[in-house]
Amino acid sequence: MAEVKYAEVTYEDIEEICEEFSNREGAVVQILQKVQEKYGYVPADALEFVGEVLEIPKSKMYGVLTFYSQFYQEPRGKFVLKVCVGTACHVRGAGLLVDKIKEELHIEPGENTEDMLFTLEPVACLGSCALAPMAMVQGTAYGKLSADKMVSLIRQFEEEAEKEQEPV
Amino acid sequence: MLTEALEDTPVNSGMQTDLPVIYIGMATCGLASGARGLLDLIKKEVEKRQLNVQIVPTGCIGMCHNEPLVDVKMPGKFRVSYKNVKPMTLTQIFESHFGKNDFAKKYAICQIPVEGSDPYEGLALMSDLPFFKGQVKIVTRRCGMIDPLSIEDYIAMDGYKALKKALTTMTPEEVVEQVTKSGLRGRGGGGFPTGLKWSLTQKSPGPEKYVVCNADEGDPGAFMDRSVLEGDPHAVLEGMIIAAYAVGGARKGYIYCRAEYPLAIRHLKKAIDDAKSRNFLGDKILGTDLSFDIEIKEGAGAYVCGEETALLASIMGERGMPWPKPPFPAQKGVWGKPSVINNVETLGNIGHIILNGGDWYASYGSEKTKGTKTFALTGSIKNSGLIEVPAGTPLREIIYSIGGGMVEKKIPFKAAQLGGPSGGCIPVDGLDTPVDFENVVAAGAIMGSGGIVVMDEAACIVDTAKFFLKFTQDESCGECTPCRVGSKIMLDILTRITEGKGQEGDLDELVRLSMYVKSNSLCGLGGAAPNPVLSTIRYFREEYEAHIRDKRCPGTVCNDLIKYVVIEEDCTTCGLCEPVCPSGSVTWEKGEVAHIDLTTCIRCKACVDACKFRAII
Repeated sequence: MAEVKYAEVTYEDIEEICEEFSNREGAVVQILQKVQEKYGYVPADALEFVGEVLEIPKSKMYGVLTFYSQFYQEPRGKFVLKVCVGTACHVRGAGLLVDKIKEELHIEPGENTEDMLFTLEPVACLGSCALAPMAMVQGTAYGKLSADKMVSLIRQFEEEAEKEQEPV
Repeated sequence: MLTEALEDTPVNSGMQTDLPVIYIGMATCGLASGARGLLDLIKKEVEKRQLNVQIVPTGCIGMCHNEPLVDVKMPGKFRVSYKNVKPMTLTQIFESHFGKNDFAKKYAICQIPVEGSDPYEGLALMSDLPFFKGQVKIVTRRCGMIDPLSIEDYIAMDGYKALKKALTTMTPEEVVEQVTKSGLRGRGGGGFPTGLKWSLTQKSPGPEKYVVCNADEGDPGAFMDRSVLEGDPHAVLEGMIIAAYAVGGARKGYIYCRAEYPLAIRHLKKAIDDAKSRNFLGDKILGTDLSFDIEIKEGAGAYVCGEETALLASIMGERGMPWPKPPFPAQKGVWGKPSVINNVETLGNIGHIILNGGDWYASYGSEKTKGTKTFALTGSIKNSGLIEVPAGTPLREIIYSIGGGMVEKKIPFKAAQLGGPSGGCIPVDGLDTPVDFENVVAAGAIMGSGGIVVMDEAACIVDTAKFFLKFTQDESCGECTPCRVGSKIMLDILTRITEGKGQEGDLDELVRLSMYVKSNSLCGLGGAAPNPVLSTIRYFREEYEAHIRDKRCPGTVCNDLIKYVVIEEDCTTCGLCEPVCPSGSVTWEKGEVAHIDLTTCIRCKACVDACKFRAII
């Protein structure tokens, strides 16, 4: 079982990220997005450093971070299963997909599997309603899913991860 | 990766070439249907046959149900569209066009006229297909026709002509006048007259002004703006630049786009770079005094940021919470300066209005809602996709003529949900409602940004209302009490009803709370949150009562209320239901009627779906 790995963050790393934004006024959200892009989540230290660099109080930084649902304070799985639960997907059985993932991977929405391979994240509309029910994993959209197809997708990702593990 | 999907595809103009052109729909819908793999196959086939052709990736033409779509345009001939293209059919398409100088009759759906070219015989024109017949394409005119990453394509289809016209032959006042004349109203759902908004911003004092494009399309079931951004990004930029000129020389613009649309953001970035390199953006645009630049701000997952004041707060790096109006953004917007905020579709219309005149635009549509409106047609409907129709088109025409009716012929229409979480349901009796701002409101829903989710009799109305309320409850920013607490209590009641614990008086309490939340919430999100509940109680009171009094869910959706039974008369004893049951609750012997053991049944609905005779309910 893989342990949850927390990122090590230095003040200099964060300074470098903030440097990219010349007009820092109002760039807090974008800077946090960059931080998350780099570490996969927003580590507590990083949040503090960003606040120091931009001279914004900790309380306010925390306020912004927690307001937006796409910021994560904990590391997440390699494959984030973003299952669309928007209207069209809902009426076409998105709930069954979520249930199947719960059953298959023993995780609740928002949780990671113990091996840190998967995270289940039901999301509001991904805007591909004609392909309902659909899901997005690592930026790729999968349409017209069923519970069975979801399982084979999971198997496919597991195999992919295993292959990467094998020494070349 | 989706975001890199178009990286290595050619970006040459497909508009002006003598070579054969192969178009492939590569918007999100196309990609999710396998367009990426298809493109590789096309490239291989082209190589194998040593053909000299252009391959052009396009945006969404609206027929999402037919994706992946591939079009072939031979020199001197009309462009032929192929639907649901699979690797096998691809070979035959190539063989027909490049081997036999014909088209693949078996797979073609229609042909698209091209100026100076000849039609094929025996193939319908696109405009004759039922799906397109009632449509009038203005804002989506270029979507699916051009390569969205090619500024040359955009220019070849009248792109940036309106900007030139406005900047060199019109005063800002004249631009505002044309927009006012067009009758264009905010397409994000608010319906505020765009001309008035521009003129208010123009009249606000101070040299520093901003133009903001609201691309935070958050309503579940709506993807009109995504299609426009992915398929015709320059049109939005052109609208913004014209707005910057009209409001008195704004120097900076923001596009606030939700992060769930990675492809749209990629296309916008490319479009901004290309527009800069041709001086449509930047300093002294086209040699005039206008200097204007656009920055993209990605959302971070907050539905309320679609509300204009919350969006402004988010642009400024704050928590995306709305502020009370007045002051309106036209007076105090980004950084406290006058700002004009328009939705993607609104801005996409501007170029066409300037080019053809306000009167021309106003000649479409109904009395109070001028022009056209795009809709995302989804749910239990045959032709789901993106459509654009004149405002005031009856709902019946949208669903039955364009949409092709229900996806399951045997299950009849129950209701259409319009306007997402702020909207409501329109039942069978309301099918003749003309879809424009006023008439839809009178019918108890809102036109909103344009999501139409069609539900058949297998859907549960109470569950739908609960779904939307849960959505707004999740997305409530928590600033004001009526929305934060009121929606929570309402959701609790609805949840109770769907669990079979409904009580007499629940409906009255829901209506009372609805009125309270509606009239006391700070912003539009809270103010409209009760709409899905109110409209469904208005039209489907019996269905609520069935849940509360009879503990029965007529749509068999609410798990706790479902008791599956086999109707003996309808059962053909085929046994299809038995093997699909995951809990072994269905028993069946050859020649016998199946039986369901409710004590072990997990209500997964597998047997219902497996039964071809609708004998299990």
